[in-house]
This record gives sequence, C-alpha cells and structure tokens, in this order.
Amino acid sequence: MNKLQGISRRHLLSVGATTMLAGSAGLLSPRRAFAQSQVSLQLSWLHSTQFAGSYIALKNGWWQENGLEVSLLQGGPNAPVEPPVISGTALVGISAADYTAAAVEEGAPFKILGVAMQKNPFAIASLAENPVNEPSDLDGKRIGMALANMPVLEALCQLNGVDISAIEVIPTQYSPQPLVAGEVDCLLCWETDLPVAMTIQGVDNVTMLMADHGYSVHSQTYIATEDSLANRREEIVALMSGEVRGWEKYREDTDAATDLTLEMFPDAGLDAETQRLQAERQVPLMFSDLTDENGFGWWTDETVAANIETLGLLGRTVTPDLWDRSILEEVHGA
Amino acid sequence: MSTGASIATPGGTGWQPRVAAMGPVLLVIGWELAARLLTDAHVLAAPSAILLYLYENAGLMSRALGVTLTNAAVGFVLGNTAAIALAALVAIWPASERTVRGFALLIFCLPLVATGPILRVIFGPGPWPQIVLAALAVYYTTFVPLLVGLRALPSNWLDLVSSYGRGRLAALVHVRARAAIPYLVAGLQISAPAAFLGAMVGEFTGAERGMGVLTIRAMRGMNVEMTWALALVATAVSVGWYVAIGAVAKRFLEDEPPVILAAPNSETSGGGWRRTVVQLVFVSLMVLIAWWGFLKVLGLNPFFAKGPLDVIQAVTTASDAATNRDTLLTALAETSVYLVPGYIAGLTVGAMLAMLVVMVPMIAGTALPVAIALRSVPIITTAPLIVLLLGRGAAGTIVLVAVMVFFPTFVACLHGLKQAPGRITDVFDVFAAGPLQKLVRIRIPAMLPALFAAAKINVPASVLAVTVVEWLATGNGLGSVMALSASLSDYDMLWSAVALVAILSVLGYGAVGLLERRVLGIYAPEQLK
Repeated sequence: MNKLQGISRRHLLSVGATTMLAGSAGLLSPRRAFAQSQVSLQLSWLHSTQFAGSYIALKNGWWQENGLEVSLLQGGPNAPVEPPVISGTALVGISAADYTAAAVEEGAPFKILGVAMQKNPFAIASLAENPVNEPSDLDGKRIGMALANMPVLEALCQLNGVDISAIEVIPTQYSPQPLVAGEVDCLLCWETDLPVAMTIQGVDNVTMLMADHGYSVHSQTYIATEDSLANRREEIVALMSGEVRGWEKYREDTDAATDLTLEMFPDAGLDAETQRLQAERQVPLMFSDLTDENGFGWWTDETVAANIETLGLLGRTVTPDLWDRSILEEVHGA
Repeated sequence: MSTGASIATPGGTGWQPRVAAMGPVLLVIGWELAARLLTDAHVLAAPSAILLYLYENAGLMSRALGVTLTNAAVGFVLGNTAAIALAALVAIWPASERTVRGFALLIFCLPLVATGPILRVIFGPGPWPQIVLAALAVYYTTFVPLLVGLRALPSNWLDLVSSYGRGRLAALVHVRARAAIPYLVAGLQISAPAAFLGAMVGEFTGAERGMGVLTIRAMRGMNVEMTWALALVATAVSVGWYVAIGAVAKRFLEDEPPVILAAPNSETSGGGWRRTVVQLVFVSLMVLIAWWGFLKVLGLNPFFAKGPLDVIQAVTTASDAATNRDTLLTALAETSVYLVPGYIAGLTVGAMLAMLVVMVPMIAGTALPVAIALRSVPIITTAPLIVLLLGRGAAGTIVLVAVMVFFPTFVACLHGLKQAPGRITDVFDVFAAGPLQKLVRIRIPAMLPALFAAAKINVPASVLAVTVVEWLATGNGLGSVMALSASLSDYDMLWSAVALVAILSVLGYGAVGLLERRVLGIYAPEQLK
C-alpha cells in the first residue's frame, strides 16, 4: 500500500492544528505528557446502545487521558466500514469476521484486533404461537431475510443437517413487519434488533441464536490496516484500552449506559425502552467465561479455529493470522 | 393549489371549488377508517395517530426536518445552478451539446447506492454527501426541460437577432432565456421532492441526524406512527416547496405563451448516422478518461475505487469473469421485468391525467394535491409499505416505478398543454370547435416536446426508483447486487454494476431520443434546430 494515499489533506491539516494547539497547551500545563492526537472510530451502524461502551469511554475522558481525541463516526445502511478504514479516515473500524474475510480476499490488508461480540448476534426470530426453537423446526417454514444473507442460512443448515430446499426464502429488508403480518413464519435477523422491536410493540416472539447451533463468526470485531498496526501502534493501544474500560463499565450497569446513550444522541430518535432491552440482550453475546478469564475482546486458538470452519462454509478461506492479538495483550497486560 | 387554479376556467366559481375540496377530505376520512380497521397489520397509521405522534415528538421532528431541509435546500440551489449553467453553455456553444448532455446524463445515471459511500469517503463526516446527492438528484431534471425551453420560440425571433448582427450570447440573453422560463419553473418544481429524497438517502451513508436517519430507525423499530409521520412531514414540505415555486412563477409569468409557428425545417440537423457514431465514440472516450482521472486526482484507494480497466477485466479476462457476467445478467433480467412496465405505465398515466385535468378542470382540485403528494412521499419510506400492500411480486415494484415516473410526466405535460398558443385557440373558438377537437389538434401537439422531455428524464429516474426499491424492499435485481457487493467488499462487481446501469440508462435515453426526432419532426420541428 502506498502510504501517502492513506493521508488526506484534512488529516494533515488537523494533525498540524492539533500539534500547534498541543504545543501552546504544553507551555501552560507542562504536566501533559504528550500531544492529543485525533483519531476516528468507524462504527458499523447508527448510534445506539450497540456502541454504548464507546460512549462511556468518551464521556469519562478515558481516551483523553491517554492522549487521544476520538471521533465516533456513525455507520448506516449505505455506509460500508472498510473504505474509511482503508483510506485512513478512520484508524479503527467495527466490522465482523465474515465481512473482514471478504475484504481481505479482495486485497485489503486488515487484521482483527479485538472481538466485541463473542457470540454472533444472528438469530432466527419467530412468533410464539409458531416457534422456531431448533434448526430442525425450520423444515417447511417460510423465512424472511435479506438475500445477501443466503450463505448464512446455508451454513446453519449444513451445520445442523437441515435440508435447505425445504425452506422457502422470501426476500425482506430492514423490518420485522412481514413476520407480524404473517407473510413469513420466521426472520433471519439480529438477536438485539428486530426481536427487541417486536417485544416492545407487544408482539410475543421467540429467538433461536445461531451461535448456539454451531454458527461461529466473531461479530463487532475491531479492524485496522497492517500499516496502521505497524506505524500507529500507540494510538491503537490507547483506543482499544478505552474501549475495554468502557465495555467493562457498560456490563456493570446497562441501564446507566442506556441513559448515557439517550443523553448523548437526543436527535437519533431512540426509544428508551427499546434501547434498554437491547443493551441487556447484548451482554450475553459480549461477555463469557472466556472474557471473564482473559478480559474483554479476547479470543483463543480454539475460537479462531471454529470461526475458520464456519467461514469456510460461508465460502471464505482464511488463516489464523487474520487475527492479531498483540494489541489486546498489551492492553490487558498479558 | 395555485397550479390547479390557473387551469380552472375563469367562470367556474360557486359550488365547483367546494366540490373539488371534498376529494381530499373524503380521502382522509377513508384513510382514518382503513387504519383503524387494520391496526394489527402494522402497516397503516391513522391520521389522528400520526398527528398525535407529531405533537408528542415535535422537538425531535423539527430538529431532524431542519437538518434535512437545509441540506436539501443547499443541494437544490447548487444542482439547479449547475443545470442553468450547463444549459447556457449549450445555448452559447451548440457544438458542445452532445458532450455536455452525455456527461450530464451519465452522472445522473450513477446509482445512489454506489455514489453515497464514495461521497462519504471523499467528504468525510458532515453534511456534504447529503448535499451532493440532493444536487445530483435535481440538476438533470432541470437541465433537460431548460434545453427544450431554450428552443421553444418562433425561429423568426432568432432571425431577428441575427439580422441585427448579434450572436448567440445576445440570442440567449434577449430571446432564449425568456422563452425558457416556464420550462425552468417546471424543472424547479420537479426538483423540490427530488432534492428532499436525495438529502434523505444521503443520510444513509452515516449522517448523525436528519429525517433519513429517523426513517431507518422507524422502519427497524416497526414504529408505524413514526414512519408515517416522517412520510407526512416530508410530503408536506415537498408539496409546500412545489406550490411556493408555482406561486412565485405565477406572479412573474403573466404573459400568454408565445405563438410557435415555425416553418417546417426539412433539413433536420444531425448529419447522418456516421457523425452520430463518431460523436458517440468521442463522448465515451471522454467519459472513460474522466472516470480514470477522477480516481487519480482524488487519490482514492484502489481497494474500493475501481477504474475502467478494472471493470473491463472483471467481466472479460478475470478468473471469475464468467460468474460476474452471469450475476450481472441475471440481476439485469430481474430488474427489467419491473422497470419497463412501470416506466410505460407511469408515462401513460401522467400524460392521460394531465389531459384529463385540462379537459375537466374541476378534478384539478383533487388530482393535483394527490399527484404531488404521491410523488413527494419519499420512496425510501413508502417502498416497504407499498411492497407490503401489493405483494413482493412484480406489482409493488412496478407501481413504485410508475409513481416515480408519473409525476414528472404529469407536471411537464400540464405545462406543455398550457403552451397551446392562445391565438390558435381563438381561431378554433371562432369555428365553435369542441374541447376534444382543441385537445387533439392544438394541445396534444403543443404538449409533445414536454412529453418527450419527461420521457427522457424518466429513463434515469425510473432506474433510480427500481434500484432503490430492490435495495430497500425486495432484495433482488441490480439494486441488491450493488448493496451486496458493497458490503462484501466486491468493488469490482459494484463498479461493473454501476457501469452497466449507466450504459443502459444512456441507451434507453438514446432510444427515446430517436423516437422523439421522428415524432417532433412532424409536430414541433422548431425543437430540432
């Protein structure tokens, strides 16, 4: 990669301005050890409690303590994470192992630095009166999903010996409405997204977490380019240590994290009840015995091996060196 | 409704307006009843529930509206200024016409799904991707009517200018600009909803706040009241904007349309197919160079910024070229099934309704607000709802495409029908010709240039509609291929799809243009000069 391409003019200007500011600040407060450097974290979706750990870190100044001025860039339905990370607009991005693997196949020099969601949030949601509790229940059902997720369904079926041809796939996008209207029997969606919306709207529903049935794909993973890992290591360590602190704090009190989210983004149209429930529901996805023992974001050779197997079913060939644990090891002092 | 009032016959006072006003009232009552009957379907929100939502969330909605409206307005001004500048350039320097038109068309044909993320990378956080998308959504719909308007004048006026020894610039300032104003108004009016939609879609690329952001939230949260409240506010603003432009124009456009009595010009320009081919090759080369240069100048990372060579390789020599071609062709077939019927239906209904409004002015009171509202409801909020009401098969998508096409056609045809020269109408009146006679013999020929302008504009507009619906609601066809390849970092495929969409839109446009030359050669030869 040509290094110059990663540095935009805006970036140079901002670095220049920060250096000047920091220089003058240094005269006034000689205690400050180093200059504040500006970095961005590219989120994978709209602001919500999905990223509340980052908001806690920002609000408490845990990045600032380590010399970082962090901007959180919102994602959206038409905002892929990889381009801003590869072009240097964002130092770190929040992706998922399958998307990162696809980008790496296309020649992007990405590494996974941390895993926020140990369990993949993909789930099959259905109505309580016609539930899908086991993969075998999918037999003869109509499933609503984005056609983009076809490989996900194929992998689930293969992992559990379900005949995919017995499932009728109906393309739906971004809404739980087709399930409620009876147009489909179940939806392929996120555990923390559409099912939460249905519960809040008073629609009695059940979910089957795909991660409980062999679907092992790390989600909400932190990615950075090899170039950044080599040349901007201190900043990445500072960024990740703030994330780790933020998410540990989040786990202690998800309601407080929700309140903070609502306070920071009054214009995001967030519903308090929905956010509270979403914040609760993502805890078991993010924290496990593994993270209790080793710290937030951790993985082992075994979980990586399981990921490589599932990714293989998704048509992605990856090797263990897609994951780089050195940053987390430094953060957790391992 | 100002436009409606201007069409109504002057004598029609008294009970007529009151009857006309009943249409919308009945519509609202029916809506309320239907919503109350269908509460469990989570599709329709009653007007009362929407108003309650708006009342309770007035702060949130007004802040979001403020952001989106500002971006849409800036985009509207930039886009339309660009359109006027381009049209003026063509009028002064006619030799540039094909190149300017080719570029303008091609850029307009670039699908939002693909341009959004690229603009975000170029501009970074902030409002610029939204503003640029709004500008891109409007400039072409103003540029094309302007090109028509700049020629909608008797050729002896131009002869007069040249007999005084003045050049094209003087002709533009003194003659063409005035003739073009009604057409500019038509373009600006069509721009209003488009700018708003562009700004909203722009927010999908990671904007912090605005109506588009709230729309995603409402859809995902199955918040029916919020979805409809957003649609209602967006519609009300677009309609208000549309009406305001009409009202301003009406104040300043007191003149009757000029009589167009051009002598049939047998030597229609163009210079044969050989010259056309040469020009086509020239424009294509320019486009390829511009594409390549654009990527180089901005220094975009080759991981996601693919040049012409990458795309050609992806569908010819690459190891997965056969798969790529197959994916593209399958998607194209899926898209065409919705696109072509929707396009034709939209054009037909638009032209028919415009004629109906002219023949039976009484219905203007109901037809106009409904037509404007239909088109102004942002497609991103209605796509999932219409698909739900009409099914995921062809019907839903075809209707959405037709709705997108219908409105520009309707507005343009209405303006065209009004261009019927007053003195000729007087002649028909003297011979006691009926309204049908006048429609067939004066108004329809007068409308044809506007109809063809609309038909051309609608080629890219309908492609935009169909890809957005595929992306957000049905999940198949080219729209879905583009969204999918962006999320899987298959940027070779994304750019190939973009190139395919752009090329086909240009070809479709060209086909309509050929038809136009044949028809206008008979009915409106002054347009071919």
